[in-house]
Amino acid sequence: MAGQEQGFYTAAEEFVGAQFDSLLPSYNTGSDYDGGIVDDYDEPPATANQTYGVPDFVRNYVRSLYRAFTERRIDEMQMLCEAGFIKLTERSFSKSPWPDADRIAPIVNNGAKAPVRLELPHQWLWNIIDEFIYQFQSFSHYRYKLKHKQENELAMLRDHPKVWNVHGVLNVLHSFVEKSQINNQLNAYNNGDDPKTVADEFGRCPLYKMLGYFSLIGLLRLHSLLGDYYQAIKVLENVQLNKKSMYAVVPACQVTTYYYVGFAYLMMRRYQDAIGSLSNILLYIQRTKNMLQDKSYQFDQIAKKELQMYALLAMAWIMYPCRIDESVLSLLGEKYDKEKFIKLQQGSLSQFEDSFAYACPKFVSPVVPDYETLSQSQHKAPYQFQLKNFVNEVKQQVAIPIIRSYLKLYTTMPVAKLAAFLDMDEDNFRAQLLSFKHKMNNLVWMKGQRAIDGEFQTSSGVSFYIDGDMIHIADCKVVPRYSEFFLQQIRKYNELVKGLS
Amino acid sequence: TSPFVHNSKTTASLHPVMEVTKENVHKLLVGINRYNPENLTILHSYVEQQANERTYDVEANLAVLKLYQFNPSLFQLNIVSIILMKALTNLPSNDFSLCRCLMEEDEQISRIFYLGELLETCNFVTFWEELAQNKDLSAKVNGFEESIRDLAKLLGGLNENELTEIANAKGWQRVDSNKIFLANQELNSNSKNMSFKFEIENLASIMGSG
Repeated sequence: MAGQEQGFYTAAEEFVGAQFDSLLPSYNTGSDYDGGIVDDYDEPPATANQTYGVPDFVRNYVRSLYRAFTERRIDEMQMLCEAGFIKLTERSFSKSPWPDADRIAPIVNNGAKAPVRLELPHQWLWNIIDEFIYQFQSFSHYRYKLKHKQENELAMLRDHPKVWNVHGVLNVLHSFVEKSQINNQLNAYNNGDDPKTVADEFGRCPLYKMLGYFSLIGLLRLHSLLGDYYQAIKVLENVQLNKKSMYAVVPACQVTTYYYVGFAYLMMRRYQDAIGSLSNILLYIQRTKNMLQDKSYQFDQIAKKELQMYALLAMAWIMYPCRIDESVLSLLGEKYDKEKFIKLQQGSLSQFEDSFAYACPKFVSPVVPDYETLSQSQHKAPYQFQLKNFVNEVKQQVAIPIIRSYLKLYTTMPVAKLAAFLDMDEDNFRAQLLSFKHKMNNLVWMKGQRAIDGEFQTSSGVSFYIDGDMIHIADCKVVPRYSEFFLQQIRKYNELVKGLS
Repeated sequence: TSPFVHNSKTTASLHPVMEVTKENVHKLLVGINRYNPENLTILHSYVEQQANERTYDVEANLAVLKLYQFNPSLFQLNIVSIILMKALTNLPSNDFSLCRCLMEEDEQISRIFYLGELLETCNFVTFWEELAQNKDLSAKVNGFEESIRDLAKLLGGLNENELTEIANAKGWQRVDSNKIFLANQELNSNSKNMSFKFEIENLASIMGSG
């Protein structure tokens, strides 16, 4: 069997190698950016016979991939994809993206009337969706980057405003979601019913079902990239985030899911939920690390996301110090730079900015720029805008940690006195106290609810009310439940005694 | 090729005499049709209806802002102003900051952003002063000032006159010069010092076996 596989691999590699040899030098000179349309203008007349914007070797690669696909030569497909794709990408597309899906689809005649009878590894289906959105993201950034753009590049961009249009991307994802009836299936699954009973022949097919599921995660990501955190969480309304699920089969997908969920909750000021989601996935990564092969593409991606999530967790927990899993806390201590943590605790705005910059997604603008008025740094605008919103929030909460530390020391305290301790005038301090209450009142997800729902709760260490001129502070300590412990022990003892007699 | 699915269902729902109801509006916000700019006609009516009738629909309003994000030329200042002012009335929910994340900084709405800032930091005194100088803004939304007063009461940030006014309106008892009896504050203070209690049955089973 191994020999046979070797044979396939060599054949695929030879094929791919042969394609490279016919490549012309112009394809290997890219722009200085890691994204850009395959520049058709450098095409010599010899290759005029191609679908616009899709080089011959890509066409041939995709055709052989499709042949393998329809002839069910799964092994060959796997080799073509893993070896071939990576090689092709390294050689020709390290500086430019693959031509987008719309252009390639006609080559393989999409639009089947019946479900394609095929099984693909779930990992691949996830990669397809993931990569698809990555291409959109890259191209959206590319469009706004002025540096080193030749006039012909700009002209081409101007003439083709529909390329990687956000509606197209949304359409693809929504089509998968609808075709697979994934929301109905998830609903049935949550109610303990068999999802197959609510799905038609397309929905029952694993290929469509999983593409539908992964498209939901794709939408979560896409909406987050555009700053629509509400919609990002809303699309997951039928996905039960804190439970084991038969759909949660691809580690990279799980990591992506919880990263974006955690980030969205953070921006929605739902700190407790952000901390919960991030804690779950960070523990998951820690436990499954050994199962993932070292140096695989997945491993690197997950490792990067893991570090970003520790940064997010640090910020969320410092803004909202609630109960957190002991193991997660100790992992945070190991994995997140201690100096940075201290700076965050001290309320350093620049550290919050840096950590946010490191951990946030690569925000994009959904519209085509005005190429006439495009400025040098306009591609950074979406990111700067979201950063500003986050930092604004941090600024509004800057006095909270010190107020909290004072409140923890007392059970009652006159407003005026505490204001004096904090060197604030009384009116300003009263406003700060109210703001404290307001900010620490979180919307928190409850069991059985959709991810977007929640109830208001305060679980951040200390709560208080103001009675005239006096602050009354209640410390949120939980008394150990001695009664139940003793009852349990007594029962056990009785059973033991019964067993002996 | 248009990315929007124009099947008979959607066309029917764009019928000019369609009633502006929550149900009808939400039918438009399903799937890819949510991004159809042709929906703005009815959505605009729906936003204005919320302002007049003191109703509120955050999802529909966010959908409007999203459509403006995708189609900046369709941006309408008045509609956005209403949406933002309405979002303020829904504090402590953070709808306002969600709206902000969907729109680029705009000079014309900076006044409303400032009002939002004041409320988020509970600077009620300055807020009322600012609002007094921006009557055109509060006029856009029916019952705006009342909603903010309710919010202030929720957080405890009212001055004496306002408090008396509201107390009388809600039939609360004035206990003494410093206190108004609302509800048992002890129960609401969120203290988690719980006393334990035995459940009678459990206790009985143990007592009986002695």
